[in-house]
Amino acid sequence: MAGAFVLDKASILDRLGGDEKIFAMMVDMFVQDVDSNCAALATALASGDPAVLRREAHTVKGLLATFSDDIGAENASLVEQRARDGLVADQAEAVAGLQQRLREIAAVLSAG
Amino acid sequence: MHNVLIIDDSDINLALVKALVLKLGDCSPTLFDHPLAALEWCRSNVPDLVIVDYMMPDMDGLRFISAFRALHGRNEIPVLMITANDQRDIRYDALLGGANDFLTKPIDRVEFSARVRNMLSLRTGQKYLADRAEHLSSLVDERTAEIREREKELIFRISRAAEFRDPETGAHIQRMAHYSQIIALGLDLSIAQQKLILEAAPMHDVGKIGIPDYILLKPGKLTPEEFEVMKGHSRLGHELLKDSRSEIMKAGAEVAISHHEKYDGTGYPYGLKGHQIPLFGRIVAVADVFDALTSERPYKRAWSLDDACRFLEDGRGKHFDPMCVEAFLAGWEHVLDIRQRFRDEEMPQI
Repeated sequence: MAGAFVLDKASILDRLGGDEKIFAMMVDMFVQDVDSNCAALATALASGDPAVLRREAHTVKGLLATFSDDIGAENASLVEQRARDGLVADQAEAVAGLQQRLREIAAVLSAG
Repeated sequence: MHNVLIIDDSDINLALVKALVLKLGDCSPTLFDHPLAALEWCRSNVPDLVIVDYMMPDMDGLRFISAFRALHGRNEIPVLMITANDQRDIRYDALLGGANDFLTKPIDRVEFSARVRNMLSLRTGQKYLADRAEHLSSLVDERTAEIREREKELIFRISRAAEFRDPETGAHIQRMAHYSQIIALGLDLSIAQQKLILEAAPMHDVGKIGIPDYILLKPGKLTPEEFEVMKGHSRLGHELLKDSRSEIMKAGAEVAISHHEKYDGTGYPYGLKGHQIPLFGRIVAVADVFDALTSERPYKRAWSLDDACRFLEDGRGKHFDPMCVEAFLAGWEHVLDIRQRFRDEEMPQI
């Protein structure tokens, strides 16, 4: 996945009306949920069901967009669109990229 | 306090929307991470606003809105659907499918607050209008009840006016009206019909108001010519009441014209037989005669209850409708109670 994740806290806070508490809560939840989100992507890929993969990719797209990760959200959107077209098997690399991105963001957020 | 229902399968979105809703103040969020569970909750709860995600397992937001709108009384409740920025087609479908507005992800607090406030204002307006409609409806009911009470009082006083010119007493019209109701009950008439005859029966002799005093108050027996004039009170009463728009007056007109008809066709004014005689007339005939017999008057002593009952039984199929006599005797305990409640020297209100 091109480009390292850079936390743009200012833009996120701008969307949240400057509410640090809500931001902190979202960070905690993201970090806490990262393993289960990665696992859900893996399960969706393994299931071979495009509808399941589409839904998981959609969820990840929303998560990444929430943290202003436009590149990550765009990649998740591509997986979602391809799954909508019925493609699953050849998306292993893209899914692995999303998992890596999720962990990368979690690491950045944890580092604070 | 606005009850805001939030449905999203993503915990982080659910928590974010909840936090933003709480920031608005005066809102109580109810959260579901599964649309089917939310729909079940909606069967017995009415939210003020629904915020629902589009893509969820088992049931997407569009299907949820459709199912929610199908629930009774949920058609007007504002619904906001959350979609991604790149889902324009979904937003169109949502708006056409019953969503009032939409929110895009990632959620922006300013946009979120403005749209949610708008939707809650809409809901407040809806509730205000519903409350006002209910208030107006109760006012109409109240006023209608007042008018009906005045109508009842007027009828009672008209009936009393006729009775004042007659040896009968005010208690007589109360008793015979309640006896009529007892018969109506025994005949399995509806509650409304039982009430109607209770209110209409007092007008049975209202036509006596048009009978000259020298006949009405004559102490001795009437001549055949005088009796013919006296019989005219049925038609007079009917004429007085028949064109009224009031259900009670119309029923009173029917009672007035038919309460002296006899089951075997020997009554007046038309000599109607059996079921040609209106039911209210057949009922009132039994009630009126029984009370006249068992009441003491300046010109006669009261009959015993046994003798009066025997008279009714002997009159089955001749003077009286057998079913009405049977219904009256079947309600005997109530008859005795009415005699106690409405004595000639006392006169409780209907």
